[in-house]
Amino acid sequence: MTTPGIRGIAYALPAVSRSVRELALAGALESDAELLEGFGFARVHVACAETPYQLAQASASQLLTEQGVDPASIGLLVYGGTPSAMAFSPAHDAEAGARSLCTADRFRYPATRLQYELGLEGASVLALDQLACTTLFGAVRVARALMASERIDRALCVASEFYPLNAGREAIYNCTSDAACALLLEARGTRNRIAGAATITKGYYWDAAAMREEVVASYFPTAVHAIRRTLASAGWSADDVTWVIPHNVSTRSWEILLRLACLPNARLWTRNVAEHGHTLAGDNFINLRDAIAEGAVREGDRALLFSYGYGAHWTGLALEI
Amino acid sequence: MTPHTAHLHEHADGVVLVTGATGLLGSLVVRRWATGRHAPRIAVLVRDVARWTATASRLGIGSAAVMPLEGDLMVAGLGLSAATRWWLAHHATAVVHLAADTTFSRPLDEARAVNVDGTQRLLDVVGDCPRVSRVALVSTAFVAGRRTGRIGASPVTAADAVAGWVNAYEQSKTEAEWLVRTRHPGAVVLRSSTVACDDLTGVVTQRNAVHRALRLLHDGLAPMIPGVASTAIDLVPADYVADAIARLALRGGIDGETLHLCAGDGAMPLDEMLEASHACWIRDTAWRRRGVIMPTLGDLETWHLFARSVEETGHARLRSVTRALAHFLPQLALPKQFDTTRTEALLGERAPVVRDYWTHMVEHLRATEWRGVAGLAELAA
Repeated sequence: MTTPGIRGIAYALPAVSRSVRELALAGALESDAELLEGFGFARVHVACAETPYQLAQASASQLLTEQGVDPASIGLLVYGGTPSAMAFSPAHDAEAGARSLCTADRFRYPATRLQYELGLEGASVLALDQLACTTLFGAVRVARALMASERIDRALCVASEFYPLNAGREAIYNCTSDAACALLLEARGTRNRIAGAATITKGYYWDAAAMREEVVASYFPTAVHAIRRTLASAGWSADDVTWVIPHNVSTRSWEILLRLACLPNARLWTRNVAEHGHTLAGDNFINLRDAIAEGAVREGDRALLFSYGYGAHWTGLALEI
Repeated sequence: MTPHTAHLHEHADGVVLVTGATGLLGSLVVRRWATGRHAPRIAVLVRDVARWTATASRLGIGSAAVMPLEGDLMVAGLGLSAATRWWLAHHATAVVHLAADTTFSRPLDEARAVNVDGTQRLLDVVGDCPRVSRVALVSTAFVAGRRTGRIGASPVTAADAVAGWVNAYEQSKTEAEWLVRTRHPGAVVLRSSTVACDDLTGVVTQRNAVHRALRLLHDGLAPMIPGVASTAIDLVPADYVADAIARLALRGGIDGETLHLCAGDGAMPLDEMLEASHACWIRDTAWRRRGVIMPTLGDLETWHLFARSVEETGHARLRSVTRALAHFLPQLALPKQFDTTRTEALLGERAPVVRDYWTHMVEHLRATEWRGVAGLAELAA
């Protein structure tokens, strides 16, 4: 099996951001602002005018431009995030988007529109749903498998997700952001080579709101299990990990998880937690791009990406930078 | 005459006063004495005579074998009448003190009220009983508190306080030992390990913190356990402890000794305990489908960090779970092995090996649907 690499990453954030205190004043948080600030959050990005599709298109366009790749060379597009025609409604009118799911508009798909508008003439299209914050990991997983089985050289993975206006901005003590993120995978890529991956799904926890205690309690041991399986998949030992590229949940929970996971040489890259919050569409990959850009993560490093998504999914990715 | 009963002759013309006789261990000890061939005269201090009568009836103890004295450790003079105290002063030759508040989660002042102040009141009454030649205190091996390593069966000293304790129960029992040793240097202190179940069958009559922690693990509500895989978990079945108390509390030639009633070398490593529990539960299809995995082992600092985070979030139900575990689990990160050499020499046998009954106990709890063991709903109520 080929082990593709992630050649490039691009992301798009909404123009508007709000501080945690502003969110609290607006009644968008369940917890006190002070608590969430103590957990590392300062600001989040809030899509007001932008639609999820616009953010997706912006991130994918930027990626193709930056990488100088002919769109026609893309053999696969895997799209995830806000489903169907909801992706065409801005947050302030999310209810209109939701209503569209009950009409024939539900067959107006952002994934195929993206293929057309970006000129991905050679790309077959798949869309993913119901993976929450692990959507982009799921997209990479599918792309990796199809690239191997269908001999596809290049794949584009895009995820775009937002929180509807009335949904609040907190998910179990984490502040959430709207964003889109796009990845370019190459079958023979040498950068950010995918050395291993693992995913654990536990449908028992499908109703996160009703099973809050169980979800919190299961998070840590299952996360440790997923991390160990990811390392085993890559053939790495715990000592091999030099960077942990997180999903931007609370820094406190990461402190606990890293203690339990016992990765003695790993550093946690947390710079974006405060300024971006938990961007549902692809924290880890946004962080990876920024960590490489600032020179923290360098060629030769071994990075572990881990994320959890409602549903419930625990997933990890081992990358050789 | 058997070795089990030889010592009872020393009190044949007196009365053995027993506290805690309606409790699990106390009732079993009294039954052993009362139904033996050389039964001493026994008086039990009980708050509720009717409850004692029911206990005695359940255990097959004849009404003539034991004299219930209505009283209360929480009351000066134990709440006994002058006539009763006069009677004790003239007849009591031994006092075996089992009564205790064994709840790990009690605040210190409440734990002291029973375990220290109650002991003080008992000793005050004993002070008026000149024939008493033996005072025996049933304590806990976990007066060792936060100490680690091999724990000798020696009287507590001021140095023990330096290490500190995991919960108020441990501290209050340490203070009770100090008190007894100060007033009665010849007293025998019998330190029991945590009682896991009734006997080798694994049947559990009295639920405690061990069972509550186990249920929270079963229900997937315990994210982590402070401890290392090899930590030996020391537990004992009630029948072993009761038998040991019955044989040692009145025994001559051991004045001033402190004895561990513990599994010692037969303790079970934590990882083996978790694996055995998981192997038992996973046979249940409904449980297996939930995908619950055993909690991760971490250090004490990580546990405290998690517990602090839960406190800060103010999530009441989760906080109830964490608090329920906090009074017990930290002991698992403080590995210790209790020295049982002297006890084994005196008894001529060792405590049962924990792995010989652990799975039976886990299965019993599951088969009885955790009856009497608080889960999330009860803790959060």
